[in-house]
Amino acid sequence: MKKFLIACFLFVVTVNVYAKPEDDRLALREFFAQRFPDMDLNEMINGLYAFDEGAREQWLEMEDFPPYEIAVEEGEEAFNEPFANGKGYADCFENGGIGIKQNYPRFDEGSGEVITLEYAINQCRTDNGEEPLPWQTGELAAISAYMAFTSRGNKMSVVIPDDPRAISAYESGKEYYYTRRGQLEFACENCHMQSAGLQLRADRLSGMLGQATHWPVYRSKWGETGTLHKRFRECNSQVRAKPYEPQSRVYRELEYFLSYMSNDMEMNGPASRR
Amino acid sequence: MKQLIPALASVSLAVLTLFAPAMAADATEYQAALTEARQTLGDAESKVQLWSTSEILLEDAEKAAASGDFNLAVKLATEARLQGELAVATAEREKQIWQSHVPK
Repeated sequence: MKKFLIACFLFVVTVNVYAKPEDDRLALREFFAQRFPDMDLNEMINGLYAFDEGAREQWLEMEDFPPYEIAVEEGEEAFNEPFANGKGYADCFENGGIGIKQNYPRFDEGSGEVITLEYAINQCRTDNGEEPLPWQTGELAAISAYMAFTSRGNKMSVVIPDDPRAISAYESGKEYYYTRRGQLEFACENCHMQSAGLQLRADRLSGMLGQATHWPVYRSKWGETGTLHKRFRECNSQVRAKPYEPQSRVYRELEYFLSYMSNDMEMNGPASRR
Repeated sequence: MKQLIPALASVSLAVLTLFAPAMAADATEYQAALTEARQTLGDAESKVQLWSTSEILLEDAEKAAASGDFNLAVKLATEARLQGELAVATAEREKQIWQSHVPK
């Protein structure tokens, strides 16, 4: 009887302590709903342009001839170019790779790892005897931009399966997001939750919701289209934390958490930012 | 007075010889500082908390040692170690409190 009561107590404690990803997501939306009561939260997929009307107008004008358009065209061409073995990217993905970005990152039960879209693109190449592409810009970012373009309008639908490895990956990404680091001791949360919408030098800081819906991004600062992990590295450098390699386990798990937080929001990649 | 000069010179030399190791670092001291720094930075990295500045300090320390400037090499390696210690302290503190920042 005593053992049974202890087991019941531990079960209740465990259930209460563990916050499910969906609870996290809803609590996050509530956080931003209270922070910005007059704003449609779905506007946050547009980053800083959700907060800054002047910058938004300039951005909308730029969208008439978007700077990422070249990447989308080059990406489409590269996507349709067959590999040496005659196969292509379409053979590696569900629905021929069209309109599927909202499902990434996904958890792969076989390897027990988080697979981002860029990771899957290079995996497709190596599985077919091709050399992997550089992770952050260039052809890989272009193919990802094309695949994102075909996914516009779909809703982010990242799944955290009931698998301890998937939950652990999600939790690791979450811990990373909320942990202060680097010489300046900033967490992602400090800028993109506490300070979301506030002015930082010449720009406003984007909010965490919708941060994963619009990648890859053409940043004027970069002068090219780059991946989310390029931005992760930049953020780390800005707070003087050692950046990880693009597509490292740390960054893939961070993307997993970040993307889940944007679930049910519209995919709008690729995008342009300052 | 002239007789005192050699004696004073001898005493001065002896004093200088006595304190020389404390004033000028050597390769042994540098190696010890480097090993300590590497261990601390390894600890910080294992806790996902390495600063972007620390490994650069170690590289600069290695360059200084290669050019024979062990004083500078020890100084840089020590600074790297101190950065590593601060990073580890951040890691240990954040491990306890990061969850309090998650909206409930």
